[in-house]
Amino acid sequence: MSRLLEVDGISFAYGSRSVLDSVSFHAGAGEFLALIGMNGSGKSTLLDIVSGFRRPEAGSVVIGGRRQLEWKRREMAQQVSHLPQSIHADLPFTAEQLVGMGRYPHTDSWFESEEDHRHIRAAMERTSSWPHRHRPFQSLSGGERQRVLVAACLAQNAAVLLLDEPSTFLDIEQQLHCFSVLRDEALAGKLCIAATHDLNLALTYCTRLLVLANGVIAWDIRTAEAHENKEWLELFSRRLELGTTPSGAPWVWYQ
Amino acid sequence: MSAAPQLSFTARYSLVLSLAVFIAAALVLPWVGAGSISLTRVLRRQEPDYEILLQLRLSRTLLALIAGGALSLAGTLFQAMLRDALATPYTLGISTGASLGAVAVIALGWETLHGIPMTWIGALIGAFAVLVIVIGGAFRQRQISAFGLLLTGMAINSICAAFILILSGFAGISRSFSIARWLIGSIDATSYTSLAVLATVVTLVSAVILSQARNWNLLAVGERWAASRGVHVGSMLAQGYILGSILMAGSIALTGPIGFVELIVPHVVRSRVSSDHRILLPCAFLLGGTLLALCDTIGRIVIPPAELPAGAVLALIGGPYLVWIIRQRAPAEEI
Repeated sequence: MSRLLEVDGISFAYGSRSVLDSVSFHAGAGEFLALIGMNGSGKSTLLDIVSGFRRPEAGSVVIGGRRQLEWKRREMAQQVSHLPQSIHADLPFTAEQLVGMGRYPHTDSWFESEEDHRHIRAAMERTSSWPHRHRPFQSLSGGERQRVLVAACLAQNAAVLLLDEPSTFLDIEQQLHCFSVLRDEALAGKLCIAATHDLNLALTYCTRLLVLANGVIAWDIRTAEAHENKEWLELFSRRLELGTTPSGAPWVWYQ
Repeated sequence: MSAAPQLSFTARYSLVLSLAVFIAAALVLPWVGAGSISLTRVLRRQEPDYEILLQLRLSRTLLALIAGGALSLAGTLFQAMLRDALATPYTLGISTGASLGAVAVIALGWETLHGIPMTWIGALIGAFAVLVIVIGGAFRQRQISAFGLLLTGMAINSICAAFILILSGFAGISRSFSIARWLIGSIDATSYTSLAVLATVVTLVSAVILSQARNWNLLAVGERWAASRGVHVGSMLAQGYILGSILMAGSIALTGPIGFVELIVPHVVRSRVSSDHRILLPCAFLLGGTLLALCDTIGRIVIPPAELPAGAVLALIGGPYLVWIIRQRAPAEEI
């Protein structure tokens, strides 16, 4: 049986600057992958390619056993949801209108149906953004905005969720909330891939770490086994140490 | 579940109201003008009342309604595609390109050739030439940069404006006067044939734009956002720029470059009614048409027997409003 997502030999360059050089990984339903790596290591580019926004120069992306190029955009949108890194903050839409956009790929009807509204409400309640539904997006705080955007991805009800730094600009409580919502999604049978710089969030909530460096996946390790080999940490900084929390979970600190 | 009925109620309410205002403008405004028209004389088809109402005032009111609607719709579309409340076909140079095309035709004295309205053709060619240059200039990495588009547009704008000056310098006194008159932007009585052509083009193009309303919503958020929600970003943008330019060039050819309507109307409707393009687009069309027709009527009655061009009336209202928008605008942040 094929895995939900198969990425094989993906290469991509911006002009003459090569960013990804034959990246491969497979992932299945129920996994929560942390995509980590230094600035400019190609995390966002890889998510752009998996979401279909960019075409790779070589390699293939197979989703649900079917090559990405064979999917229609609309069908892809029912399978893959992408939360990009930068969204303009001065959008004129209300929170509810933004979340409602997640339903567009599912229906042809001009306005959202009762069923769409149930999805919208459920997604907004899960991210505690339902009380802000009538507020303009631009009037929300950074954390409230991010929760609305995550809700928009949840409302899309796709099998694969791609999130580019979903916890940036969030306070610690919100970061934990965001990642626990994503972990719940994975437990419910979705595949979540989050690009992040926060190693401890990744170690705490994710099932697997994909470390991008020099255009390839330098390390692909299960979080449960992350403390067995500490070499992957050195890619980030020589000042990092890996230990365990009192509960036995891996934890990164710096000297 | 209170949100669902409430939304469609507001939507229906604002759509019906805009449509009512639009129809009311079409029925009432032709009767307003320097000389009063008697209803009984019109019904008896007596001259000159019947002639003035039907041949002069009705045709120009209809032209204002259609052109104002088309311009507002194009403005709304460009603001969505560029995610910039101040982006219009003007800032992209498309309007000035259309003007240059039309001015070139006037300068050559080819306004009508074998009954074909050549200013129209000139405006279309000008608009598309600029569109190709501007988009070509901003096209990088198989993507269009909104910032590059605006900067290139401004450069092209100045170049076209310079060519317009050169053309009117060489055109001789009478032609250069008609060029200057044309450039102010005015609604004049038009033949019903040109009106019918414009109305057909505008209706078809607007229908296509409106049918993609949900895609404009997605694009107004961002290109990645739209792509992962089922939009073919590249072809959608190409479609939007082409259709918007047809609306622009078609209207400008008959009215001259009327500014501000495509800037103000989308902005007001977005902040007062809805930013959901399913409601925003039709309301912007209907209210934009009404506003231009109203400005034309005001221009007709303020200093009789002379007339103030609709473009001038609109600029007097729109200029201060534009300054106000800029002052109100908070600096854009990214999250």
